[in-house]
Amino acid sequence: MTAAAGLGYALIALGPALALFVAAIARKPFLILTLLSSMLFWLVSLIILSGVWRGFLPVRSSSWWPYAILIITSVGFQEGIRLVFWKLYKKMEDMLDAFADRVSKPRLFLTDKMQIALAGGLGHGVAHAVFFCLSLLTPAFGPATFYVDRCSRVPFFLISAIISLGFVIIHTFSMVIAFNGYAEGKKNDQVFAPIVHIIAAIMTLVNLAPGGCVIGVPLLCFAAAVTLQYCWKMVWRRLTEQHNMQIPNS
Amino acid sequence: MDPSSSSGSGSSGSIIDSLGVEIVGVMSPVSICMLVVVLLISTLSSPSPSTTATAPPITAATLVYLESPSDSASHKLLGALLNAAAFVALVALVTFLLVLLYYYRCTSFLRLYMRFSTFFVLSSMGGPLLLALLRRFALPLDAPSALFLLLNFSALGALSLFHPALPFLLRQSYMVALAAIVAAWFARLPEWTTWVLLLALAAYDLVAVLAPRGPLRILVELASSRDDDLPALVYEARPTVAPSASAPSPASIGSVELQPVDPPPRRSPTNPNPDDRAVVEMADLDEERSPLVSSGSSGGSAQNNERVVRIGEPSDRAVVEIANPDEEEARGRDACENPSSDHAVLEIGNVEGETSPLVSRTLVGRQENPPQRRRRRSSSSSSPSSPTQEVEMFETTRGIRLGLGDFVFYSVLVGRAAMYDLMTVYACYLAIISGLGCTLILLSVCRHALPALPISITLGVMFYFLTRLLMEPFVVGASTNLPL
Repeated sequence: MTAAAGLGYALIALGPALALFVAAIARKPFLILTLLSSMLFWLVSLIILSGVWRGFLPVRSSSWWPYAILIITSVGFQEGIRLVFWKLYKKMEDMLDAFADRVSKPRLFLTDKMQIALAGGLGHGVAHAVFFCLSLLTPAFGPATFYVDRCSRVPFFLISAIISLGFVIIHTFSMVIAFNGYAEGKKNDQVFAPIVHIIAAIMTLVNLAPGGCVIGVPLLCFAAAVTLQYCWKMVWRRLTEQHNMQIPNS
Repeated sequence: MDPSSSSGSGSSGSIIDSLGVEIVGVMSPVSICMLVVVLLISTLSSPSPSTTATAPPITAATLVYLESPSDSASHKLLGALLNAAAFVALVALVTFLLVLLYYYRCTSFLRLYMRFSTFFVLSSMGGPLLLALLRRFALPLDAPSALFLLLNFSALGALSLFHPALPFLLRQSYMVALAAIVAAWFARLPEWTTWVLLLALAAYDLVAVLAPRGPLRILVELASSRDDDLPALVYEARPTVAPSASAPSPASIGSVELQPVDPPPRRSPTNPNPDDRAVVEMADLDEERSPLVSSGSSGGSAQNNERVVRIGEPSDRAVVEIANPDEEEARGRDACENPSSDHAVLEIGNVEGETSPLVSRTLVGRQENPPQRRRRRSSSSSSPSSPTQEVEMFETTRGIRLGLGDFVFYSVLVGRAAMYDLMTVYACYLAIISGLGCTLILLSVCRHALPALPISITLGVMFYFLTRLLMEPFVVGASTNLPL
């Protein structure tokens, strides 16, 4: 595709992530480091997954169940990585609190913790978008574009960009939800992230059917909107709780 | 989200506001350099195979064996190993020569040579690049104007290295441009040679910095014992203290004085090697602040020993530094710095903040050593939180410094990855950045000179091959079938 179209697709996939980066993350170097390390985590998990699956690829059959197995194992593994990330984050939080006490600065605020979770989730999302969408865009510059049979109305790159956008949002905000759930011990929040991830991933299987992307892609965007809404409500609840707790004290 | 408003406290912000600012201050120029090299390579190497594109340059790195696509794999591997051995031997020779020159105090020669080589690299290696860019994008620029612009560009670059009147940002930009130009040239080497060369250089870096008789270590020790700047090209994350009138050599103050080691006999006599190696150096400072990393590594040992990495100054110019009040440690720290040889030196200096230049200027008269001494203890007056610190100490106002050689070889790795696919570029970028972070963390733990190349290069090479062999079929297959 042309350079303008390529830039457009890249911005569709990564525009909100870029906005989040500039607004919330770019000013705090610690968050930039968190972003980079979560991208690395995601990359390592993807490498391990592809190492495991290498022997079975390429999937030649056009039926859906090999892809389903692939997806379920991948999502399961990545949710496991999220738990590992949480454990590491807990250790980091203890270290940061100890450091804060030593330099007599206030400990981590709730918003700090949420921002760290946001940076972590954004790292996952951006890594997904970069590896699954951008790396296919950049070799394809040139005068033509590419259509896939099963979804012949829209260029392949546009579909890929929209799917990546959905996953960026899902990854980013489900990390915030998950960290909050682990911190508070609420089961609802804790299982929300894996569930929405699996559902979104399975929904992309709908794209395998001819013409399925007309249903699959909007469904994915709907899942992303649901994640966003859930995260918003949770954050609002926690912030007002904290504010209410502090009113009697102040 | 304003943390202070939500918590109701009156503090100015949380600790994560300024934590890690130095690390990011080093990672951003590395990222920018890699980005420039990837852009250069992807725009200049894809067009139709002209004669210059297909014939690899005759360089010191291809002295022994010139790779051609028709050779067998084992032949290529053997040839690449021989090439790498020859190159590393040449680099070691040149480094020893540099150490010798420095030992016999030919410092003005070294400095002048450094400036000359900067000019030469920028003009003679940047020139063909400029020409290729002009050709590629069909820009309308005539030859005299191009020559004029190029010469001005190179002259400004050579000036910016040492002249304190030029803005610091200009100097940093020229460092990055220098590294990018050299890396773009190096990336034209044949493929097998490049990979083997990178690994060989990482191993050489390890040996030369850590071994007792390694050239870089000797150089750093010499420099620290003379309390002088390393004669090499080093990227500084922050400006050094401005020279005062009483300073012995104004030109050497405030700048990392360096000079590239005589390059191997290539077409262009300048060799990126001398500038390049970076050695991770840790300066010890007497600080109560605990480092981000030391608390992780030693469980808050910052309280036990005085050596802590100070992160997050009250001013926004915080520097990661590891401080140690002992003077004999300083020499060890200096040993870490390796400027001119191929090892990359990552120096961590102490920067106090906006008040430090004033303070150090007033203190300059007190000490006989030039104020660019990195290992000095930080003066207390610069940090408002510790107002009663030693007056006799002066602070260094250096930021983290990373040798240009590190920039070059990181960018060469990423550039070579760019020749395959962009997925490998992203993977190698993440690997290199995380290797750099690990090196910084190790620096805070080990407190002596560390080479910055090995970890990053090893991770980068590993990730390149893993991505190319494992991840590519997985990702491309999954995404083109539209399930993901």
